[in-house]
Amino acid sequence: MEEYKDKLYKILAQVEKPARYCGGEWNTPDMSKPRKADMCFCFPELYEIGMSNLGVQILYDVINSDKDFAAERCFAPAEDFARKLKEENLPLLSLETKKPLKDFTVLGFSIGFELLYTNVLYMLDLAEIPFYAADRGEEYPILLAGGPCAVNPEPFADFFDIIVCGEGEEADLNILRIIAESRAEGVSKSEILKRVKSVEGAYVPSLHKDGEKVTKAVLRDFENAPYPEKPLVPNIEAVHDRATLELYRGCASGCRFCQAGFWYRPIRERSAERCAELGKKMVESAGFGEMSLCSLSTGDYTELEKLEDILIPYCEQKRVNLALPSLRISSFKSDMAKHSRKSSLTFAPEAGTQRLRNVINKNVTDAELDNLAEAFEIGYDSIKLYFMLGLPTETDDDIAGIAEICKRLKGLYYLKRHKRGLNISVSCAVFIPKPCTPFQWEEQISMEEMLRKQNYLRGLLREIKGVSFSWHGAETSVLEAALARGDRRQSRVIERAYELGAKFDAWTEQFKWDAWTQAFADCGLTMGEYTRRREADEALPWDFIDNGVSKAYLLKERELGYMEATTKNCREGCNGCGALKLGRCTVC
Amino acid sequence: MLVLKYSKLADACFVSHIDLLRHVSRILRRADIPVKFSQGFNPHALVFFSPPLAVGVASEAEYLAVDTDIGGEELIERYNRAVPSTLSATEVFECEKNPNLQGKITAADFVFDTPFKNIDLSGFVIEYEKKGKAVREDVSDRIYRVADSGGRLSLRLAAGNTSLRPDRILPELNARLGVALALSDIRKTAQYVGFANDAAGGFEDADDYLKRV
Repeated sequence: MEEYKDKLYKILAQVEKPARYCGGEWNTPDMSKPRKADMCFCFPELYEIGMSNLGVQILYDVINSDKDFAAERCFAPAEDFARKLKEENLPLLSLETKKPLKDFTVLGFSIGFELLYTNVLYMLDLAEIPFYAADRGEEYPILLAGGPCAVNPEPFADFFDIIVCGEGEEADLNILRIIAESRAEGVSKSEILKRVKSVEGAYVPSLHKDGEKVTKAVLRDFENAPYPEKPLVPNIEAVHDRATLELYRGCASGCRFCQAGFWYRPIRERSAERCAELGKKMVESAGFGEMSLCSLSTGDYTELEKLEDILIPYCEQKRVNLALPSLRISSFKSDMAKHSRKSSLTFAPEAGTQRLRNVINKNVTDAELDNLAEAFEIGYDSIKLYFMLGLPTETDDDIAGIAEICKRLKGLYYLKRHKRGLNISVSCAVFIPKPCTPFQWEEQISMEEMLRKQNYLRGLLREIKGVSFSWHGAETSVLEAALARGDRRQSRVIERAYELGAKFDAWTEQFKWDAWTQAFADCGLTMGEYTRRREADEALPWDFIDNGVSKAYLLKERELGYMEATTKNCREGCNGCGALKLGRCTVC
Repeated sequence: MLVLKYSKLADACFVSHIDLLRHVSRILRRADIPVKFSQGFNPHALVFFSPPLAVGVASEAEYLAVDTDIGGEELIERYNRAVPSTLSATEVFECEKNPNLQGKITAADFVFDTPFKNIDLSGFVIEYEKKGKAVREDVSDRIYRVADSGGRLSLRLAAGNTSLRPDRILPELNARLGVALALSDIRKTAQYVGFANDAAGGFEDADDYLKRV
């Protein structure tokens, strides 16, 4: 790829943050070994966002650890770099060997968020690869997609040859093996896809028949699953630039709005010994100065104390900052936070009143909020609170409850400390009904209602000193909801939006609402069709995916929600969601 | 205090100075080099750098001072095991105290990948943008020397407190030479302390300075 390297270096001298595009990170695996097939991981966001993605790091490590295969990476370039590529007639290249994307055996897109769909097309455009699977002949790589958006892959199904529904550690490798063996036999792409269809979790849109089911891929032996012991060290500061330890997969809380909480079932924990060993290896191989514990609810991890007993002294000795994010209030223990730097605490009550928290099954009680007094006692002066607006059954009283929580916390703070005054930052997202949740049938509130609720809350919070308020854009929330529950017709919409200039939709300053509304209209659709309430007996675009949790269970959970009745944490006993059939839950 | 002389080549030259600072803390940790920390409320590692290098310019003469109790041989060995070859160290110096290269360095030699030609420096005016504003200035007094380095053009430019960035003189240099040099055609080969006509005897190569202090 030397021919491209020289041209690339010329461009690098003329763009912002060139280290995004040059590769050569510490811990890059050996790229010179012979490869039976190779895959380029394509992440449809900027380098500093993509390099923070744990999923990509895990899968990259899995493939490069195999003797027959190699994985490389490519991130969506910023527009100045994209312009230079076009000027110099260069296609999009991989970071490691500067190989054009179109020369790989497989391109694997990781799609973690609905607002990244146009960036997939942006990358294909720069790579000089046709968007639609049907338009790509034998000469093109096989396009694979995976990641959290595979919960409902229909909006982007037409662009891909294969979509991995579920966890990729085993599926990706199996698929790559089938492709390599088939290519060696010289069989056609359609025959390859036929063979790939047998892999658990593999959805092949072009060969899918009505009524067929795709079973979500689940990694059964999570304890011994491969993990990047030698993570890549980003060239420029990434959003999450640290050693990240995944403690467990799944979540026992059962919050009814949470897609990840249902999608990643069954729950599988990793032992404290294994986690600690991985963490030490990561610090020693990469030199990270920070370590974070990652899972959907870290405070609920069974062996948390045991893990802390190993990691706290280790991190102190190595001068590594141990960060403990996204704790639930109910699992907050002040001795836990005592050992990390006292910057700010983050909690997500999600709703302002006990009533509404019961509806969504967010089991945080008002009494538990009082635990925060301990945090104030040991020196915290700043707290971040996350809420959602527009939850099912929400009234203005529930919104007023958010302001009440802030007042309550201020009261607690002054009982314990009188020094600086408490800083509270309230951040409100808009509820987005997502597939694979008990609320997947709910409607999303209208944009007018979003703005009204935001204004109402802003007014209430303005009265309280020391509280800052931030909120999500109403437009992006509507679009996200429309795409999350989208169907096959949306591939044309995404293509049209891209033609009209939409890309990097997750960046507020780049978001083009007009392009999207026009794109829907040009395809004879409206976003309202997708954000409306769905009937319980209506066929849903993602029904064909068997994710373990039965539809009957989701419906029952929704009913319980309407009744303001909570469901117990899975750790207190099995609730019978059905995910057990895909593998043993390690907590029950 | 030990001082490593290292290079910054190929991919590594696109890493900015700010990012390099972060990388060094990681390099030292994974190399298991016990660095001393400052006293006080917010202790920081006692690690010091030579003046920043413009992004995209290669160098074979960067310096990194580290306060540690291990020996020089061991430091360079451990350091080189923990960095890509593009950042490898070639020499190590032992100093009584922090040599303060950030403050002492006054000039640096840059070799441009073009045949040597003696250029007239009079009225050497460059134009560039700084914080959105167009700047135009005569920099002929900050180009200290034009020399032949193995047949290539070598310029000694002001560095440190009043510096002249090699990337900023490229357009004017290209115009005067009738060539089309790019950022990747520049390489820093040496750094200096002192001044041409000072009492101490003129420019002194940073290597010699470090051996002396």
